[in-house]
Amino acid sequence: MTDGTIAIGRLIRSSTAGFVFACRVPEPEVPLFGAFVKAPAQRAQSEVFGLIYDIAFTDDMLVRQVAAAPDLPESYIQDQRVNRQIPIEVSVLAVGYRSNGGSLNYGLPPQPPITLDRISQCDDAEVAEFTERFDYLQIVLNSPHAPADELIAASLRRAVDTCPPDERGRFLRNAGKELARLLSRDLARLENLLRRIRP
Amino acid sequence: MTTPSTLDDFFPRTPSATGHIRLGIVVGGSLSQGLDVKLDVGATPGNIIETMAVGRYVVIEGATGRKFFSIVTDIALDNTNPDLPKTPPDPDDSFASEIYGSVLSFGRLQVSPMLLVEKDENKPKPVKTVPAHFSKVFNATPEDVDTIFGAEDELHWHIGEPLDMQGVKVNLDLQKFVERSSGVFGKSGTGKSFITRTILLGIIRARAAVNLIFDMHNDYGWEVIDEHKKRFRGLRQLFSDGRVQVITLDPDTSRHRGSKVDHVLQIGLNQIEPEDVDMLSGILGLSEVQVGALYYISRKLKQRNKNWIAELLDENSTEINEIEDSEMVQKGTLRAIQRKFELFRRFGFLTPSASDEAVDYVFNALNRGTNIVLEFGVYGNTLAAYVLVANFLTRRIHRKYVEQKNKAAGKGGDEPLPLVITIEEAHKFLDPEIAQHTIFGNIARELRKYNVTLLIVDQRPSGIDEEVMSQIGTRVTCLLDNEADIKAVFSGVSGAGQLREVLARLDTQQQALILGHAVPMPVVVKTRDYDEALYAAVGFADEAAAREKRKKDKAALYGEG
Repeated sequence: MTDGTIAIGRLIRSSTAGFVFACRVPEPEVPLFGAFVKAPAQRAQSEVFGLIYDIAFTDDMLVRQVAAAPDLPESYIQDQRVNRQIPIEVSVLAVGYRSNGGSLNYGLPPQPPITLDRISQCDDAEVAEFTERFDYLQIVLNSPHAPADELIAASLRRAVDTCPPDERGRFLRNAGKELARLLSRDLARLENLLRRIRP
Repeated sequence: MTTPSTLDDFFPRTPSATGHIRLGIVVGGSLSQGLDVKLDVGATPGNIIETMAVGRYVVIEGATGRKFFSIVTDIALDNTNPDLPKTPPDPDDSFASEIYGSVLSFGRLQVSPMLLVEKDENKPKPVKTVPAHFSKVFNATPEDVDTIFGAEDELHWHIGEPLDMQGVKVNLDLQKFVERSSGVFGKSGTGKSFITRTILLGIIRARAAVNLIFDMHNDYGWEVIDEHKKRFRGLRQLFSDGRVQVITLDPDTSRHRGSKVDHVLQIGLNQIEPEDVDMLSGILGLSEVQVGALYYISRKLKQRNKNWIAELLDENSTEINEIEDSEMVQKGTLRAIQRKFELFRRFGFLTPSASDEAVDYVFNALNRGTNIVLEFGVYGNTLAAYVLVANFLTRRIHRKYVEQKNKAAGKGGDEPLPLVITIEEAHKFLDPEIAQHTIFGNIARELRKYNVTLLIVDQRPSGIDEEVMSQIGTRVTCLLDNEADIKAVFSGVSGAGQLREVLARLDTQQQALILGHAVPMPVVVKTRDYDEALYAAVGFADEAAAREKRKKDKAALYGEG
């Protein structure tokens, strides 16, 4: 994992349910679908934790024109990628927050982060702490925008990497049990999800 | 890094300091139908349910700290989603199986609350309510069960131990046991007579009552040998102080078996009354008309000072011919009775005439506190002989008891000692057709009014009159699998229907369900071994030890050498 303290973008719009931040060029490692990120809120009194559920490259007029041009020089392509007119938009689902450096709360934050706040990736310790409990799975399942099953599978795969190897099986079983509780009425969906997270 | 779940800190699954292991929580049910308990998952799914057993005790800790002692009556598999049985996980997928088994499916117990122990008290009371929703359910520890069944003493006779609880004694309250009629039921070969013998040993040892045992198969008085050629001592052998006497109808067989016999019983034909034969009508195939004729013949011949049975058995009896001629009894009826009475010729214990000596002997012995085992010898194989003698003696002894009891009530004598009459093949005596007007039906119904109660040993409780069954105080039941028999055993016991699964799952030997008056709550016991330890418990010392004691006594009396 990369050092999570590096800021990976700045916020462009937000609500209590989630936020969208912008970044320039994606590195191979950031941002990733299902990654845990955090943003300051309430003038740095609180931190909002979220899961990346969408990464979008939006076109602009120039790209549309250039894309159709024949024989594009490589330098031109690189220039278009690095100096984009419209940045990459990364959507995040808010799943928890921490106020005044206290304990973690699962659920929606009292206030969303504000425009141009710096978004950073959670480090391993933060991911491990956040996934000590699986209360966030319910928020993901209930989200109207995020592809819930994919997001859960991706986030658990990310979280299990932070566990010591001999704990990984137990971690996934506990996650599976929480999912079974939440999806006890929808066995087909549960079966599919369990297949995705099986160690 | 993920820290381990703290759930177990709040809900410990390991044995606590008191040995209690949490099994689950109460999720529903009622007092009449029993409670539903959702089992915990335990260390791995299924490990709690597979160690359960019907008939075992659990303790439910109510919301107010009261403890509800309950018995497991059924065990079931359940799930949170009715579609689960249609879409089960792949059994080879251990990951999915464990998750499904932990969350979506669970074990369910049906438990029947029996006794209630108030907080900070030790005295159990009958249960009149149920524990609150989500009360925790624990296994019952040996200490818990000990509290319920109390300590063993003179009148609390150790009869066995609860299932899977070695060292815990289930004690039968002998005083209560003899207070009302009791029953030992079970298919043949399930150990009825061993349990009966163990109970009788307790009664005799504590002198809780005096016993008259109609020993059909020579099981009680002297030694018996089981199918593995093992010898077991009888009552007469275990009490060498003369408090048990063996009376036989068949001295030859008793002698061949090596039994010590104290008396040979003979019954005079002149003593037999039509009422004694009436009960045989089913066995002999006497019709109502024929039974009616018996009363008439007996009355007629009595007027002439003749012995009615002897005359009936005499083919050339002028008296009978006269009755025939008078046409008061049809010829066919008379001849049919005579044919059916042929059986009596084979009964060696019947003599042409005898005094009331036999009955007096038995009654006086009982009155002195001497227990009587009446061995039938070869006649045990003839039901008619057994029914005839049992009915004959019981009617007369009961009559004497009634007399003595009435005298005692009028301050004219001592109370007769409580008497327990043990009968085997009881359904022959207590058949619904005849139980209404036989002496055994009366005894069972009148309870202890005249200090006489029954100990019924039977393999077909469904053949016993329902009214009689409902009056049975204590029921000791070995394995029964006939639906009607199981139903009969539970008749007249409220809420016992839930125990039927328990009864149907008993082992074929040495296990019994005891319920009723003499135990605080129904209990499945592994009955006590009938061995030297039991002999010692009733004060019997084997021959080697007895010889040693005699030697010591002699030395004490005359000095060494």
